[in-house]
Amino acid sequence: MKIIITVVILFTFSVNAHFGLAEKEYFTGTKGKNLKIFNELFKSKYYFSSLPFAAEHIIESDKLDKDFEEKLEILVLKSGTNSLAGLSNRDLIKHNSPTLQLIYALKMFRMKKYKNSLTVAERIPLNNRFSPEALYVAGTSREILGDISRSKDRFEKCIKVSDSFKKKADKEKLKRYYTVLSESCTMHIARLYYKQKQYAKAIASYNEIPKTSYRWPYTLIEKAWANYYLEDFNRSLGLVVTYRSPLLSSYFFPESEILNSLNYFRLCLYDDSLATIDQYYKVYKTKSDELKKIVLPNKNSHTYFINLVFSSLKETESLNPYIRNLVTQIRKKVKFSVDLVSFKKAKNELKYLNKRKQNKFTKYLINQVQNSINWRTQHLNHYVKKEMFTFINDIHKYSYEMFNIKLEIMSKKRNLLYSNKELISERSRGSLKNVKMTMDDDFWNFDGAFWADELGDYSYGLKSNCSTVKIDKKVSKR
Amino acid sequence: MKYLIIFMICTSSYAQNKNVIVEYKKYESFDLGNLEVKGQLLAPGDLSVKERDRKVFERALYERFDFNTESKKDIRNLR
Repeated sequence: MKIIITVVILFTFSVNAHFGLAEKEYFTGTKGKNLKIFNELFKSKYYFSSLPFAAEHIIESDKLDKDFEEKLEILVLKSGTNSLAGLSNRDLIKHNSPTLQLIYALKMFRMKKYKNSLTVAERIPLNNRFSPEALYVAGTSREILGDISRSKDRFEKCIKVSDSFKKKADKEKLKRYYTVLSESCTMHIARLYYKQKQYAKAIASYNEIPKTSYRWPYTLIEKAWANYYLEDFNRSLGLVVTYRSPLLSSYFFPESEILNSLNYFRLCLYDDSLATIDQYYKVYKTKSDELKKIVLPNKNSHTYFINLVFSSLKETESLNPYIRNLVTQIRKKVKFSVDLVSFKKAKNELKYLNKRKQNKFTKYLINQVQNSINWRTQHLNHYVKKEMFTFINDIHKYSYEMFNIKLEIMSKKRNLLYSNKELISERSRGSLKNVKMTMDDDFWNFDGAFWADELGDYSYGLKSNCSTVKIDKKVSKR
Repeated sequence: MKYLIIFMICTSSYAQNKNVIVEYKKYESFDLGNLEVKGQLLAPGDLSVKERDRKVFERALYERFDFNTESKKDIRNLR
């Protein structure tokens, strides 16, 4: 106990000493003071306060030393890549610094300048801690530009490098982060196969992502599309139905409903397809309307949406159960958690700055950190708002596509009537005979319960209803 | 000779200008059964309609060619 108290006292003393040195440097104003103030503030763990001095040093210096580069890495990890994205493009790439190169690559990617993004991302050495992210960005840029083979190579390297960093990582959180990166790159390889219409290979890659992964629920819909194009409609239906499991209740995928309807349509089970469409209008229209009621009156607010996420689950549930689920889904996103951690750290730092003796230096730091917090609040608020608007827009987009399927079914039914034919059976019954199985598969009948270990392995057993028969109608004479 | 031909043409046209009374038959009957028409039959004997399927137009339903939107979102949500 004594040791802990001693360590805490020593740490507090050290923090104050470094902060004092930074303060002294600020008022004396010697040459290269920005680097000195940055170093002292960094040592005293005032990361957000040190940001403007780091930025000034990057702008004014011609070369960054190794020590600064190492501190910059930590600073970006603590405060996020957006903290220094405001620097000019020239300043970001002039130093050959991997940390600044990653910031530049991400900035270019957001600006849709994929070629610039990949050129700089590929310069980051493989032994740098940001290399998995850099390879991920480069691979995705190439994926969008259609350079499939090189893109695949970058993703494979990303998996390899992430796994080696994961082994070296001492903290559980960091291990998890590299795992997510590795799984994300695997998912992108699957997407590359999908893009090339190699659906079986895409499915095999999706299957490499474990069910415990954060990415796994997102693979289901993509795997279902791959099965749809392989014409294994039963498997596609089985994958989509997984979202009905209580364990995945917070995941909304309006697109899964359209795929559901298309699968029934391809099996010529028109009534089932129409039932899915009607269900879509009933369920999602209400979701969209209720969400609109909340979102639209607050669309110009800079804090409403972030407060919505910060509020308790009970409060959001009372507002609307769908909003609670949507908020849960947003909270699970890596970007949101990382930004939220930075936001909380910045707030904490501001609290400590306010406790200090107020002078020109502390007032300057308070102003800088306060601006950073305001910007982060708006950023997070915008992120949540965008997610909600995307959801509403998706519902409308798929609603149009659903209507198109409905028209096509009506047209098919009319054609059958004109040609005096009907589909072979009114309703196909599910049977294991209709399930496409591999050597490793073993199926049981679904008895109404979703078991966690079975999630994602379901298949329907519906027989295609597409054969037609002539109708022998007895026409009564009048 | 030349003068003789001119004289004959003039005489003939003069004769034509005279009032000619043409008398038609008041009654004439045709025995259609005995009529015989010589030639080849070119058209089919009875009316025929060729059967063909109705042209079926299909709507372009929703397709998923890639997941580029999701991939872009992944990077935007990276850090």
